[in-house]
Amino acid sequence: MNPKNNLIIGIVIAAVVAMSYNIDANPVEFVEGIPNLAIVAKEMTEVELDLFGTAFWSMLETIEMAFIGTVVGVAIALPLSMLAARNLNRKLVYVPIRALLAATRTFPSILWAILFVIMVGLGPFAGILAIIMYTIGFITKLQYESIEAIDSDPVEAVSSIGVSKWQLIRHVVVPESAPHLLSQILYMFDYNVRQTSILGLVGAGGIGFYIINYIKFFEYGKAAVFMLVVLITVLLIDWASVKIRDKYIVKAQEGMQVKI
Amino acid sequence: MTLFSKASSTHSFSNLSTISTKTIIQMNDVWASYDAKNYVLKEITLSINSGTNYAIVGQSGSGKTTLLKLINGMMTPSKGQIRVDYQIPNTKNDKFKKSLSKIGYIPQNLGLVKNISVIDNILIGALPRISKVKSFFKIFPQNEINEAEKILHLVGLEGKRDRKTYMLSGGEKRRVAIARALMQKPVLLLADEIVSELDHVTAREIMDLIADAQKKFNLTAVMVHHDIQLGLKYANRVAVIKEGQKILELGVEGDKIVDFQSGNTSQQEILELYNTNES
Ligand SMILES: Nc1ncnc2c1ncn2[C@@H]1O[C@H](COP(=O)(O)OP(=O)(O)O)[C@@H](O)[C@H]1O
Ligand SMILES: [Mg+2]
Repeated sequence: MNPKNNLIIGIVIAAVVAMSYNIDANPVEFVEGIPNLAIVAKEMTEVELDLFGTAFWSMLETIEMAFIGTVVGVAIALPLSMLAARNLNRKLVYVPIRALLAATRTFPSILWAILFVIMVGLGPFAGILAIIMYTIGFITKLQYESIEAIDSDPVEAVSSIGVSKWQLIRHVVVPESAPHLLSQILYMFDYNVRQTSILGLVGAGGIGFYIINYIKFFEYGKAAVFMLVVLITVLLIDWASVKIRDKYIVKAQEGMQVKI
Repeated sequence: MTLFSKASSTHSFSNLSTISTKTIIQMNDVWASYDAKNYVLKEITLSINSGTNYAIVGQSGSGKTTLLKLINGMMTPSKGQIRVDYQIPNTKNDKFKKSLSKIGYIPQNLGLVKNISVIDNILIGALPRISKVKSFFKIFPQNEINEAEKILHLVGLEGKRDRKTYMLSGGEKRRVAIARALMQKPVLLLADEIVSELDHVTAREIMDLIADAQKKFNLTAVMVHHDIQLGLKYANRVAVIKEGQKILELGVEGDKIVDFQSGNTSQQEILELYNTNES
C-alpha cells in the first residue's frame, strides 16, 4: 500500500463522514433502533396463515405482470437494437435512437409506474407498462452491445456473396448474438419479478400493494406472509435461471470463444 | 449475354464442348492501397481464362489477399482497370450484386457462422436466390434444401449435418466453407490460403475436393497459397507476387516450368528469380 492510496482512502472516509453529518445520518440511532427491530420480528412470527392464499394469488399476478412486461419489452427491444447498433446503421439512424434509449434508462421503474398510473389509472396495467419501458431500455442496450461485439469475419464473408442487409442480419447477426440474448432475457425476467413486487407501492398492481398497506397499519404479521412468498418466489426463479443458464448458455458461449 | 448468366443456365447439363476460352478476369496495370500513401499492389496485369485453375503465391504481406478482394469488389483499385465478367467489381454497386452471387469467396478465416448448424451455413449460399420474406422466416424451397443435402454429401459431411460449426475440426470447417461457396452455384471460386494451416494429409484431401468440384461444376478457380509447391501441383497457372508486384507467371508444360511473363523457359533462371522471392 503506497502513500498515494492511503491519501485517497483517507479522503473517501472523510467524505463519507462529512456527508453523513450533512444528511443527519447518525449511527447511534441505528444502534438505539435495534430493539424496535425485535418488536417487528416478534410480530412477524405471529403470521396469519389464512392469508397465504391471497399472497399466492397476488404473487401470481406479480409474476404474470413481469412475464408480460419482459416478453413485450424484449419484442420491442430486438428490432430497436438492430437499429441502434453502430456496425449495422448509419449515424443518422443510430444516434437519435441511442439518445432516446439513454433517456428511457434514466427513469427507475417506479417512476415509470407513477407516470403510467396517472395515464391509465391504478392497477396492474400501469405496472406492466412500466416494466415494458424499463425492459426496452436495458435489453436494447445489452443487445446492441453484443451485436457490436460479434465476430466481423462471417459478416464480411456473407455480405460479399451479395445478400441483402436484412438477410445478413437474420442469418448472421442474429445467430451470432443469440447466445447472449437468452441469458439477458433470463436475467431481465428475474429482475423484473423483483421490481414488480414493489410497484404496488405506487398503486401499479402486484403483491407490493398488500405489503405496503399492511405495513402502513402496523400489521407486520400479515405483511410478513407476503414478504415470505416474495422471498421464496425470487429464490425459486433464481434457482431455475441458473439451471437454464447452465444447460443452454455455457455450451453456446464455448462456441463464442472458439476461433477458427 | 455474360458468362455468368450463361453458365448458370447451363449449370445442370455441363458439357465439356461448351467450355469457352473467354477471359473471365482481366487486370490492366492495377495499383491498390489502403492508405493512399503506400501501394500494396503495383502494376498488376493479368488475365485469367474461364475454366482455368489459377494460383497466386507469395510471402505473407506480399498482397495476395488484397488481390482477391479486388476481384470480388470488396476493394477497388487506386489506379488501373479490372473487369470480372466484363463488369467493374464493386460490392457496393447493386449492378454487381448479381455477379457477386456467382463468386464463391472463401476468406482465410472462412467466415462461417459459428452458432448455427452445418446445413444452415451451407444454405446461406442460396440466400441471393431466396425472396426476402421467405429468408426472414428461414423458409428455403425444397429444391434448395435438396441441393444443400447433395453438396453436404459431396464435401463428405453427411454425418455432421446438424452439428454446430464451432464443434468441427479445421478440415471440416473448410469443407463447410467450400460447400457454402458451391451452394452459390458459382462460376468463379476464390479461396484464400484455404489449406495453409492444415496438415499435409488434410490439405491434400481439401485440394482434391476442390479439384473434383471444379471439374464437376466447370468452375474457374483463383486460389491463394503461401507455398509455391501447392500452386505448381494443382494449378495451370501460378502468379508469383513479391512486395505487391507480379514477378513471375508460371505454367507447367510437359515436365518443364515456363515463365509466361518473360517467355523464359530456362529452368535455371526461373529458379533464381523464384529463390530471390523466397529469401
Ligand atoms: N486493412 C488494411 N489496412 C492497412 N493495411 C493493410 C490492410 N490489410 C492489409 N494491409 C497491408 O497490405 C499489405 C498486403 O497485405 P495482404 O494482401 O493481406 O497480404 P498477404 O495476403 O499476401 O499476406 C501488407 O503490407 C498489409 O500490412
Ligand atoms: Mg493473406
